[in-house]
Amino acid sequence: MGRHSDHLVEGTDPGLNVGVHEPSQGTSVRPVLLIHGFASSAKLNWEDSGWVRALTEAGRRVITVDLPGHGMSTSPEERDAYSPSRIRADLLQVLQDAHVVPLATGRPASGVDIIGYSLGSRLAWEFGATQPELVHRMVLGGPGSADPLADFDLDAAQRFLSDGTPIEDPSTGDLLRMARMVPSNDVFALLTMIEAIKGEPFVPADVVPHMPLLLVAGENDNRARTLPELASLSGKAETLWLPGRTHSNAVTSREFKTAAIDFLAT
Amino acid sequence: MAELSFPLPDLGEGLIEATILEWLVAEGDQVERNQPLVEVETTKSAVELPSPQTGTVVRVHGGAGDVIKVGDPLIVFGVPDDTAGIVGTVPQEQAPKRRVRLNAVLDDD
Repeated sequence: MGRHSDHLVEGTDPGLNVGVHEPSQGTSVRPVLLIHGFASSAKLNWEDSGWVRALTEAGRRVITVDLPGHGMSTSPEERDAYSPSRIRADLLQVLQDAHVVPLATGRPASGVDIIGYSLGSRLAWEFGATQPELVHRMVLGGPGSADPLADFDLDAAQRFLSDGTPIEDPSTGDLLRMARMVPSNDVFALLTMIEAIKGEPFVPADVVPHMPLLLVAGENDNRARTLPELASLSGKAETLWLPGRTHSNAVTSREFKTAAIDFLAT
Repeated sequence: MAELSFPLPDLGEGLIEATILEWLVAEGDQVERNQPLVEVETTKSAVELPSPQTGTVVRVHGGAGDVIKVGDPLIVFGVPDDTAGIVGTVPQEQAPKRRVRLNAVLDDD
């Protein structure tokens, strides 16, 4: 499992670690692409949390990808490698390498379903909006209409990393704590990603996906308070709130997995 | 029926404890090896722990919100007596009946 994509996108190799997990029984249904959140990885967000097992046991083929600077993907020097538009182009290449074909009526193997979490939900929102001929349905976890990464206080983070000056903004402090918690994270690559995201902040009204969506978040997820705004922009969204869960612990929820599997099987 | 107790496993990277989010099995359930048992949350991430054992759940330790230390008891399975000795150690109350002394056999050459 795990390989670096060897296709060039815009002239360079994105060096992304892609995993394909086959269901034990074989399948005739379209695959599910999983897009993890900021400072997480395919392993943390989808494997250790039980998603890959739950989906493959439900007969789905699963494609995972580590975002640049995350997990086992490379950490390119140049900022553009981390821009959301570049990542969307890389994801398109990943799907083509996995032989995903455009949706065709009456062909359940055509197209792809997507599950995203947090930053992965933002990327999925835009990917689904720009690739309607490929994307069948999407489940967006921990989503919001705001962009905590675009609002991240980079100067404060850099001061903290150089001399320990406390960070005032709680969201910035929390994101940096998450970024530094996982040893496989390249913190400077993640700060470069934040710079790139500041250049392309999330504006959900700019591009709206038109396929059916399931929006899922913990009841106590402060980053997903604006989820209803995404639901009203979509007009085709179901919403599920997970009792007692937060942004960091909603991801393992059995109720979340069951709802996602059922929603994507429709 | 013998009882096999499993502790909270080492979750890596110096993590010493985890908070129970939700049990996915209940006492009395028949569980297969690798079936999801419990969701726990560490300071790093939330994790779903698969069962290390096939058997019947005799006891679970801790409910939602409780903190369990790595190495402390997490779950107890009941398994048929003839398999217990093969897959793990079964705590016995009584003292061992005899001791075996192992003597080194010294080779002359």
